[in-house]
Amino acid sequence: MVVLEAIGIKKHFGGVIALSNANLRCYQGRITGLLGANGSGKSTMSKIICGIYQADGGEIKYKGKVVKYRSPSEARKDGIAMVFQNLSLVADLTVWQNIVLGAEESNGMFLDDDSAKELSQKILAQLLPDLDINKKVSQLNPGEMQIVEIAKAVSRNPQLLILDEPTAALEQAQVRNLFSYMRTLAKEGVAMIFTSHRLWEVMEICDDVTIFRNGENVASIDFEKEGKDPDKIIGYITGDVQKKRVEGKRERIVGETVLSVKSLNYGRSLKNVSFDLKQGEILGIGGLAGQGQIELMHALAGAFHNVRCDVELRGKKIKLNRPLNAIKEGVVFVPGDKQLEGLFLKHSVLFNIIFPKTSLPHPLFIPYEEYRKECEEIVDVLSIKAPTVDVPVETLSGGNQQKVVVGKWLPFDINVLLLADPAKGIDIGAKRDLYQYIVERVQKNNMSVILYASDSEELIEYCDRVLIMYEGQIVANLEGEDINEDTIIACSMRVR
Amino acid sequence: MNKTNQGSSKLALSNYVFRPEFSSLLILIVMFAITAILQENFFTIKSIVRNINAFAPLILLSMGAAVVIISGGIDLSAGAALSLFTCVLTTVMKKSDPITGIYALLITFAVAILVGVVNGIGIGYLRIPPVIVTFATSYIWLGIGLFLRPTPGGESVAWFRIFYNPGMVEGISPHIEQFGRVIPPALILILIACFIWFIVSKTKTGRYIYAVGSNNDSAYASGINTAKVQMQACIINSIFIFLAALFFVGQNQSGDARMGDPLTLRAIASAIVGGVALSGGKGSVYFALVGALILNLVNKIIFFANISTAYQTLVSGLIVIIAIAAPVAYTLYSKE
Repeated sequence: MVVLEAIGIKKHFGGVIALSNANLRCYQGRITGLLGANGSGKSTMSKIICGIYQADGGEIKYKGKVVKYRSPSEARKDGIAMVFQNLSLVADLTVWQNIVLGAEESNGMFLDDDSAKELSQKILAQLLPDLDINKKVSQLNPGEMQIVEIAKAVSRNPQLLILDEPTAALEQAQVRNLFSYMRTLAKEGVAMIFTSHRLWEVMEICDDVTIFRNGENVASIDFEKEGKDPDKIIGYITGDVQKKRVEGKRERIVGETVLSVKSLNYGRSLKNVSFDLKQGEILGIGGLAGQGQIELMHALAGAFHNVRCDVELRGKKIKLNRPLNAIKEGVVFVPGDKQLEGLFLKHSVLFNIIFPKTSLPHPLFIPYEEYRKECEEIVDVLSIKAPTVDVPVETLSGGNQQKVVVGKWLPFDINVLLLADPAKGIDIGAKRDLYQYIVERVQKNNMSVILYASDSEELIEYCDRVLIMYEGQIVANLEGEDINEDTIIACSMRVR
Repeated sequence: MNKTNQGSSKLALSNYVFRPEFSSLLILIVMFAITAILQENFFTIKSIVRNINAFAPLILLSMGAAVVIISGGIDLSAGAALSLFTCVLTTVMKKSDPITGIYALLITFAVAILVGVVNGIGIGYLRIPPVIVTFATSYIWLGIGLFLRPTPGGESVAWFRIFYNPGMVEGISPHIEQFGRVIPPALILILIACFIWFIVSKTKTGRYIYAVGSNNDSAYASGINTAKVQMQACIINSIFIFLAALFFVGQNQSGDARMGDPLTLRAIASAIVGGVALSGGKGSVYFALVGALILNLVNKIIFFANISTAYQTLVSGLIVIIAIAAPVAYTLYSKE
């Protein structure tokens, strides 16, 4: 039975056309995958269905009736719930308070906290049993937050559940829990829309898939009837231009030691971390989510003023207590959480990309014209999809925002590039462009890279060496043939 | 906090020590100690009652300020609203006719709700920055106040003294008079405010005030009518200011369109000293009371420490800075 049908949806933001003519159909008890490159309109489509945006044209039929929601609460009353990519959680409230937020039960006049806690516990028991529901959301790691977000959407007993990249922040075990939970929901008759950049996830969990390109749906594939063909799907996502996979691994050039870190300690999150980074090396940091990898990147970037360690850069002792110190030494950090750390969302692409330069010596007046040219080159190199460099970054799609974060450090003379999940939320094509560019830079300029990626595929494909972290310590140092999916997972879970 | 005492017991000391409000409590204790040393008869009932009377208006306004700030707003019109309420009270009341006191109470309460609604419409529904809305409305309240009372004065019914000192009301029963000597009406007004917030904090409104102040967009996406919540916060604030106005008119038997002005920023500062985050969503309304006590004690200490009047303002500024900086530094270093 068709639960939802969207026909000819149109939507534009200022000059950017997000959806030109998009159609989508969902069925009771089925999981519909939504695939597409960055800025192809997947998130916009989801947000229109659940009432956050209003379509400029086209119509949406929900259970046979034409609907036009003006707010998320209207959609929710009809049984449409959405798991947000940019989380809808309130950091200062606890887990259970967030799960029932906006749908609290009352005992007469007062809030019924006991039943709220019970409900939260019941849902989380299937998704993340260890989570303490009395913790504040600000104390959770991104993966846990994402699961709370999912629990929140599910707690409303939706008939249509939209999951917008729910797995981006999750580790594999959590993804498996989520998938088995989604299957239970499907059996209960819930229709679901699932978006993800990881193709294998879509192929594993979805019953059918709709592919978006440039604001239009280009294909719908029913996996039962037409089978699962990844090449065909990738073809639809990228269009006619088929990009080849990077052939083989690049040759490893190991130079002298660039960065030497000895016994780095930070609070409870980093314990006695020591390692060397060689010239021209791409060093991967892996492990389960939240084992101190992000903290390590932050510490090296100078974000913590009271970190204890001995760090030498090319034999010279350096202090890592301020970001500016790190930047001056050519240690540059590209954060994964672009919205929190990397961008001035309301400012233009130009402003963001040239911003790091303003903290270094420069002429009294900022030479905008010169910088503009440089900026346009960067936009070109990373194929950032923006009408001009003067549009605010917040009007770009998530993946393109991430490219801006990476782009703003590219003109620098970099000794060590710290990448914290740079490809989070970027589509396959853009991810390849980005890494190809970084690999080129490494080979040309003898730059060194420390890469933390939650997706072990990226580590395997690009790293010369991989360190696995567990509870704030480095527990394994993998090289050569050892860098493979099985070993990484085994070491991450301390099986080996 | 290490793993052993994490979440082990709700009463574990660490749960409280690591809250930012804790440092303001420490400062308050220190200040009480200093005041007690400087002022010999600090702990007599008479002195305590006098202090409660002196502190009450700021305490009530700071609790209101805390509610608004937690909801993500700020109220620069609190002092002007307080003045306006005193003007309305003393305009409606006729000294000769005791029943006018009741009319004044009802009419001023309605005005208080209206004041909250107007601020709420500006902040919540029109989405004008709270600083601008309340800056503008502060002049509107002042203008209306001056229209009603061009100069300080007005009339008040005799029984309105009950909001200040029941002993001064003729023909009151001796029991109430006795009671009022130990438990002053000002304290009861503060307890009423605390009770109102206690009730609200157990309802959806209380939860939503924190949610909206913490992250307006997330709250909206969760299906909360954020504009309504912001308006409700403004109305609660206005009711607390109304309680302060009752005390003022009880004490002075007159209204003044400008008397509240100096209290506006002091109320906001009290809330901040009490650990309420100016960014919204964090802090405790009850701890605003602690902040207000600290700010009041600062003045007392300076007075009793015989600091030359030329330096009093400077010193009080320095102490306030320390009181505000302490919680920030405290949370920074307790996190390692």
